[in-house]
Amino acid sequence: MRRTALVVLAMLSMLSLLLPSGQAAQKLRVVTTIPDLKSLAEAVGGDLVEVDSLTRGTQNFHEAEVRPSMMLKLRRADALIENGADLDAWADVAVTGSNNGNIIRGAPGRIDISRGIQLLEVPSTRVDRSMGDVHPMGNPHFSLDPGLAPQITQNIVDGLSRLAPDNRAAFEKNREAFLQKLEREMDRWVKLLEPVRGAKVVVFHPDFIYFLTRFGLVQVGMLEDRPGIPPSPQHLVQIIRQMKAEQVKVILVEPWNDLKLAERVAAEAGGARAIVMATSVGAVKGADNYIAAIEYNITTLAQALK
Amino acid sequence: MRALTLVLVLSLVALSPAAAAAQATTTDDAAALRKEIEQLQKQLESVTDRLKRLEAQPPAPSPGIAPPPSAGAPPATAQQPAPQPGISVMDIARPRQPFGLYQQRGAGQLLFDMGVVGDFVGNLTQKNVEKAGGGSFPGLENRFFPREIELSLFGQIDPYASGVVRFEAGQEERTGEITVKLAEAYLTLLTLPFGTQARLGQMRNRFGWSNEIHEHDLPWVDRPNVMRNFFGQEGLQEQGMEATFVPDLPFYVEALGGIFNGDNETAFGAGTLRVPLITGRVRTFLELGTDHALELGMSVASGQTSDHLPSTILGWEGRYKYRPDGWLHPLITVTGEALYSIRKFNVEGDPTGTGVTETEQRQKNSWGFYVGGEVQPWRRVAGGFRYDWSQFLQGPGLEQAIQPYISFWPSEFLRFRLAYKHTARTTQTIDAFNLNGGSARTVDEILFQASFILGAHPAHPF
Repeated sequence: MRRTALVVLAMLSMLSLLLPSGQAAQKLRVVTTIPDLKSLAEAVGGDLVEVDSLTRGTQNFHEAEVRPSMMLKLRRADALIENGADLDAWADVAVTGSNNGNIIRGAPGRIDISRGIQLLEVPSTRVDRSMGDVHPMGNPHFSLDPGLAPQITQNIVDGLSRLAPDNRAAFEKNREAFLQKLEREMDRWVKLLEPVRGAKVVVFHPDFIYFLTRFGLVQVGMLEDRPGIPPSPQHLVQIIRQMKAEQVKVILVEPWNDLKLAERVAAEAGGARAIVMATSVGAVKGADNYIAAIEYNITTLAQALK
Repeated sequence: MRALTLVLVLSLVALSPAAAAAQATTTDDAAALRKEIEQLQKQLESVTDRLKRLEAQPPAPSPGIAPPPSAGAPPATAQQPAPQPGISVMDIARPRQPFGLYQQRGAGQLLFDMGVVGDFVGNLTQKNVEKAGGGSFPGLENRFFPREIELSLFGQIDPYASGVVRFEAGQEERTGEITVKLAEAYLTLLTLPFGTQARLGQMRNRFGWSNEIHEHDLPWVDRPNVMRNFFGQEGLQEQGMEATFVPDLPFYVEALGGIFNGDNETAFGAGTLRVPLITGRVRTFLELGTDHALELGMSVASGQTSDHLPSTILGWEGRYKYRPDGWLHPLITVTGEALYSIRKFNVEGDPTGTGVTETEQRQKNSWGFYVGGEVQPWRRVAGGFRYDWSQFLQGPGLEQAIQPYISFWPSEFLRFRLAYKHTARTTQTIDAFNLNGGSARTVDEILFQASFILGAHPAHPF
């Protein structure tokens, strides 16, 4: 009998080791699918949250590999902040593998920041995969449009406040401080790009439509044949012709795209340049946070379009 | 003439007050009109102001209604009023993209996801192998056939559970007849306490790495020999329940336990919960920097055969991937599994030579393994090999095979694969592969695979 009691006691002690400690429970443990949202969640959550991201800025978020290390991060998470609009649908597989009921779809800890965002490039006809990797809900690459930061951060505030209602005031205050800072930067960014307003650009993959629209730049073509489909020689010839005709000076490239190909096309088009953009926080050197990533894109573009 | 003049004069006299009155009326109207214009101007100014205010606001939180960011429009900031839910007149009047309603009403609301996978295989081999039925797809040698046409339905059942149903159709015999069957149907309870999850129904067991993976998703044309020799052509697929536990530790560990009927005739076959098939698995994952990742695991499946004799299979698995930072695919992948079987079986014989047949129980321990390596220097092309070494659960002898292959993906949803497989079996195994006057001691096969995906297909974990 005594032996049984000892075994039960030992098992209970082991179980208690596996449960989260009270000290760690003071801060909300937040995990984001992409680094842009990590930066924004840190700005909103301040000292009240611990934030980690499932992916790095140098990764293509469409094709993130679901690793058990993601599940480990999610195992202890109070909240999962996702981009939504089909960009990070793989998060469901990671969540299921984490065995954490707090962040499954529909749970209070699941925060979708696409709520209230008017998506661009929403298909107006029947969609199928002959069109490439087209997003039926619209283009999901909106997180680095500074004009949408108020809505995104509002969604984060609402989501975090569901889990910690007492901290809503603090989250709101942090959000306002962040947005004031962003607004100051925004005035400067608008002035920087004002001289090149209306300039035409070509993109490798349609990742920049929100950003370009926000600052009055025009996307006239794309190197990929169709989204996600590698460019064919005929398509490249056509793009080169178009770039020459429309005097396009810049091709915007994601860090994982074939930069050499883009540079070759740019050279063929007569003195254009291919520039690597910060598609996300951490995508390029210096783009360490949300504002820095936008700053990088603005200054790089302003210089290239001169 | 005089009379006419008189009429005209009288008419003019009669009209003059009316003209004067009309003049007065016009003056009044003009004043009223001026007032109205002033009023309209004020209204226009008010509407313009409101429009400016609304444009400066962040979009309202109702998808499909909020406007796209207008070029150059100043972004919303924290100093501006918070977005109001609902639809204003201005929202309706504002130009929208043509398919704005899609987000609100279309896109399969409340529907589950659906996907269809087509997997066709062709193989060419020697005539004697075809006769003996000793190829990688027994009975289907020198044929091109639909191996697996899969219809998958999956989605959330309610806030607490998700469900998966998969039907499969495929050709299993030379007659060309297509067999349709329920491949999987299970629900997963997602919100159990203490980091546990339970799966109930019919499923591919999570035994080792490759068993859970469907044919079309394997990195090779066929299942590894050891998996087919130990679990049959389709692997371990059972009815019952599994529970997983992921403890809250600084490193990743997943523990799994399961109870099943034990219907798999190759390895078990008791088919009753009175003596159930018990399964277990522990796996961990190590991330060695950002580029290297290693998964290790160990599995066990223990049950009884149809003769009610014990049968236990142990498994070890390892998978390594090297994916340089920023790459869309791994450059190097190495996968390996080893299985060890401990099994008792009845042997009938006449040990005393007296003509009396006796049944004797014997134990046979067998093992096998495979190891595969793949290099993917380009996004659309990968090449690799697999080496198989396997004994048989009951019969004597062993077989070895080497299989180089090349895969080509025109897109994420279409794949072609070409492989050559050379299998060599030891002399003891000939008895099992010399049916119908053929022989399959040495087998050379050219394998071709074409797979496509229609609709939804969930992401696969590491």
